[in-house]
Amino acid sequence: GEFGVTADHVPLVAQLKPGVLQILHEGSSEAEKYFVAGGWSITHPGSKTDITCPEAVKIDDIDSDAVTSGFEAAKTAFSAAESGSREQAEAQIDMEVNKSMGAALGITLS
Amino acid sequence: MAFRNGVQRLSRNLPRLAAQSGAARGMATEKQIWNQIQSTKNIRKITASMKMVSAAKLKGDENRLAVAAPFNAWTKNMGSDRVWIETPADVDYAELPQKTLIVPLTSDKGLCGGINSFISRATKDCVAKLHAQGKECDIVVIGDKGRSQLNRAIPESITRAATEIISPGNFNLAAALSAELVAAGAEDYDAVMIVYNSYVNAAVYNQYYQIVKPMSGEGEDEPMIEYEFEPDVKSEVTQDLYEYLLTSQLFYSFMDGAAAEQSSRMTAMENASKNAGEMIDSLTLKYNRARQSRITTELIEIISGASALEEGK
Repeated sequence: GEFGVTADHVPLVAQLKPGVLQILHEGSSEAEKYFVAGGWSITHPGSKTDITCPEAVKIDDIDSDAVTSGFEAAKTAFSAAESGSREQAEAQIDMEVNKSMGAALGITLS
Repeated sequence: MAFRNGVQRLSRNLPRLAAQSGAARGMATEKQIWNQIQSTKNIRKITASMKMVSAAKLKGDENRLAVAAPFNAWTKNMGSDRVWIETPADVDYAELPQKTLIVPLTSDKGLCGGINSFISRATKDCVAKLHAQGKECDIVVIGDKGRSQLNRAIPESITRAATEIISPGNFNLAAALSAELVAAGAEDYDAVMIVYNSYVNAAVYNQYYQIVKPMSGEGEDEPMIEYEFEPDVKSEVTQDLYEYLLTSQLFYSFMDGAAAEQSSRMTAMENASKNAGEMIDSLTLKYNRARQSRITTELIEIISGASALEEGK
């Protein structure tokens, strides 16, 4: 599920699934939004949090047309692939990432 | 009659004069020195261009390293920091556990200065010291140069080797490598030790080792005991976290090693060009001396021939 980290949060190790990462800077109302494909969030005792992701994109940089066509292509690959095969698993991951990218942009894909 | 005398005198003297000019057996002739100069000039051109290529690639590698360093900064909170192998004799490796998997990072291509020798030396030294302390260790070599050097010295310790890694790597490469290591049983070891060169600047690089410990152990040894885990199954999460930690460390070490390799190659090619230039200078002097003595010889021949004719008149 989603969670927020504030000061004095309980130390936590969380594996992140594809979704939106929001950073709220002190004294500013606008949040920095990134879409991450996965990664880890580790909150240490002492109110320090490390977030590490191999890939992160600013939401503004995501092209909605590319996301929609990517989702459609992944959907086709999913149905075409053998059930339980590696291709199907990869297509499923593709679909999920594109779906969450769409959700971040406000598009519902299914 | 006088003419014939002159020619006879000349023909008697010619061998002696030829010997005087330096075309005696064993000494390089003018032509040979000229060929040597030309080939050295070609070598200098090649090393100079290799140096410029390395300088350009170094720029790219520096940028990648600048990105990799903050990316990997989180690992500092997850275990011990890297250790500088300043003088191999001074490092005792006492903190290493019973069973270690050593992963030295070397290059495939040569003409790169001393980077691979330093890594091999540090690895051999580490293995010797660990055995002296009664500990076990195995090696997974990355890079052809390291593989051949270590294979000559300590072949029995090498479990696996990975070569033909296209430099520079990226995160996917590091991920594939760490998956390989885990599949080969990296978690059975008490620690994985990455030995690599670290880039300081264009002229300096140092050897470091980085220890990555698997997150196993129970009771008192249980790692990260004060943390909660999401999702809840801690053993699964720590398994994935360990792989990710190893990947991140490997990625950073790769970037560092690549930058160090390019800077070392640049320095080596610069020195080679300089040495070639010096060789060309000394050979040119030698060539000029040979040329001048040849001209002198020819003049002597002509003059003695002419004076012989005059005397004969």
